[in-house]
Amino acid sequence: MAGVKLTNVRKSFGPLEVIKDVSLEVPKGEFGVFVGPSGCGKSTLLRMIAGLEDTTGGRIEIGGRDVTTVEPAKRGVAMVFQSYALYPHLSVAENMAFSLRLSRAPKHEREDKVREAARILQLTDHLDKKPSALSGGQRQRVAIGRAIVREPEVFLFDEPLSNLDAELRVQMRLELTRLHRQIGATMIYVTHDQVEAMTLADDIYVLKGGHVMQSGRPLTLYDDPDNRFVAGFIGSPAMNFVTGNVTQTGNGIARVACEDGTLDVALQGALPGVGTDLTLGVRPEHLAPVEEGGLPVTVEVAEELGGSSFIHTRAASGADIVFERRGHRDRLDGQSLRIGTSAENVLAFLPNGKRLR
Amino acid sequence: MTTQRRIENIALTAITLIAGLIWIFPLYWAFVTSIRSETRVVADGAGLLPDEFNLSSYFDALFNTSLIHWYINSIGTSLIITVIVLITGMMCAYALSQMRFFGRKVLYGVVLASFMVPVQSLVVPQFVLMNDLGLINKWGGIILPQLVVPVVIIIYKQFFDAVPKELKEAVVLDGGSDYTLLFRVYLPLNWGITTALGIITFIMAWNSFLWPFLVITTEDMMTIPVGITQVNDAFGVAYARIMSVALLAAAPVVIAYLIFQKRVTEAVMISSGVKG
Repeated sequence: MAGVKLTNVRKSFGPLEVIKDVSLEVPKGEFGVFVGPSGCGKSTLLRMIAGLEDTTGGRIEIGGRDVTTVEPAKRGVAMVFQSYALYPHLSVAENMAFSLRLSRAPKHEREDKVREAARILQLTDHLDKKPSALSGGQRQRVAIGRAIVREPEVFLFDEPLSNLDAELRVQMRLELTRLHRQIGATMIYVTHDQVEAMTLADDIYVLKGGHVMQSGRPLTLYDDPDNRFVAGFIGSPAMNFVTGNVTQTGNGIARVACEDGTLDVALQGALPGVGTDLTLGVRPEHLAPVEEGGLPVTVEVAEELGGSSFIHTRAASGADIVFERRGHRDRLDGQSLRIGTSAENVLAFLPNGKRLR
Repeated sequence: MTTQRRIENIALTAITLIAGLIWIFPLYWAFVTSIRSETRVVADGAGLLPDEFNLSSYFDALFNTSLIHWYINSIGTSLIITVIVLITGMMCAYALSQMRFFGRKVLYGVVLASFMVPVQSLVVPQFVLMNDLGLINKWGGIILPQLVVPVVIIIYKQFFDAVPKELKEAVVLDGGSDYTLLFRVYLPLNWGITTALGIITFIMAWNSFLWPFLVITTEDMMTIPVGITQVNDAFGVAYARIMSVALLAAAPVVIAYLIFQKRVTEAVMISSGVKG
């Protein structure tokens, strides 16, 4: 197994630069997830690692070996595509053995590897079937099996669960986690779904506009985002944002007037001056109704999930604010109330989007 | 069903029936003529209905002409033409569809343009060329000019364009070359179209008359359509024999059509753009 290291990697399509000086490292044996909105360059980056796209600048290393100009088949990677890309005219076993046939591996070796991959992926009963006779989940498992038999140094997944229904996605997520633990290979996974990123990743790399906005452990990104984009992108429902300006500071706390109310934010560094414009971010689970202080809001819709509810409210400026409520069964529809949280749960962002710590 | 609808149906059926009869009449007439004796064919009062069952013209055609030889020539040239046209057409279409190189679009434009040039207009320059190459009365002279079938390239390209690009990328990652992709993925994925194009190319080559007629002068090398003209020469105006040779010449194509009816229909629809 090998890690993947990108150094100052760039990619342009004509005058359009889609990957802008990206440097990152997915350590050996880790499950790295590239996540970001459509057009952020995550799939392009993955395809560059695979060798399916040329690199305009920079260096790509796999297992310490510079593979920037090496052809795809010799990079030691295997890729699982969103559309599965199974050969429709071949059986499941033939699909999985295709690369081994091309490399003229002996028949017994091919059969052993296919049987082992089928066992891991619970496809043993389907080896003689054509892909068209399989369900979406089974097809995706065949695609993964095709990657496994190649015994690559790095597995690359390009939105592999996007074509599956919600239930199957959850199931396949678990299977992928299990598979990663079982074979221990380095895996890089591309998705636009932050829930997939949070549940699968050892490390998440959040991309936007061809840049890596932040990388780190899923909970680090959730609890301690570097910027407003990451704070808003990671988490479901998304973090609430309100804008205001500082009215008072002291004891590591800045008081911010916003939405006809106030929120306190705890800061470790130098406190901003009075009058500074700030955007405050609070996770839905950290907000709760309060007697005084906080923000005045009107409840619009409650999403009852059973164990908890997400209460969608509207603030004075018209901003949507969502908070999570646990252990209550009474409905709050149409009520006016105040919601707040402690200063430690509030994150502050400067107008340029950077986090103020 | 309303009365008006029933009348419409009857009228349409009648029109279809009449059209069918008009279409089949020459074939029927050829058959009726071929089973008559030569004297009966030209006798007064020979009616539309078969009134004689005389197979002598068939025996004459089979045993007193070079028909068997012409059969072998036609089968040989048609098979060679079909195989070469399919292989070169497929490879050319693959290059135009999947490879990126300078002049690709211009080249495809040339292929499209050549599709629009009538064969007849090329006959003279091709004849001069073949003559200069010393290929008159040679197998190469019969086969070479018939190897350019742009429609095969156009149809293959259309189908190759529709194969998802992920399949190509999967092959690249699996360590395959362009040949792997073409012969192990694209070709098996398009067996249906290959069969259809094969049949239609074979029929075209089998029925080809003008070029073989011009380029062959020795009876030994004639294909069946050209050979029919020799029957005329050998027997004078021997209608029954001409018709029997014509029917025997058409027989393999008719049998092939009956076996591969569905595929031929598909091929015609694809090449005429009805089905893509």
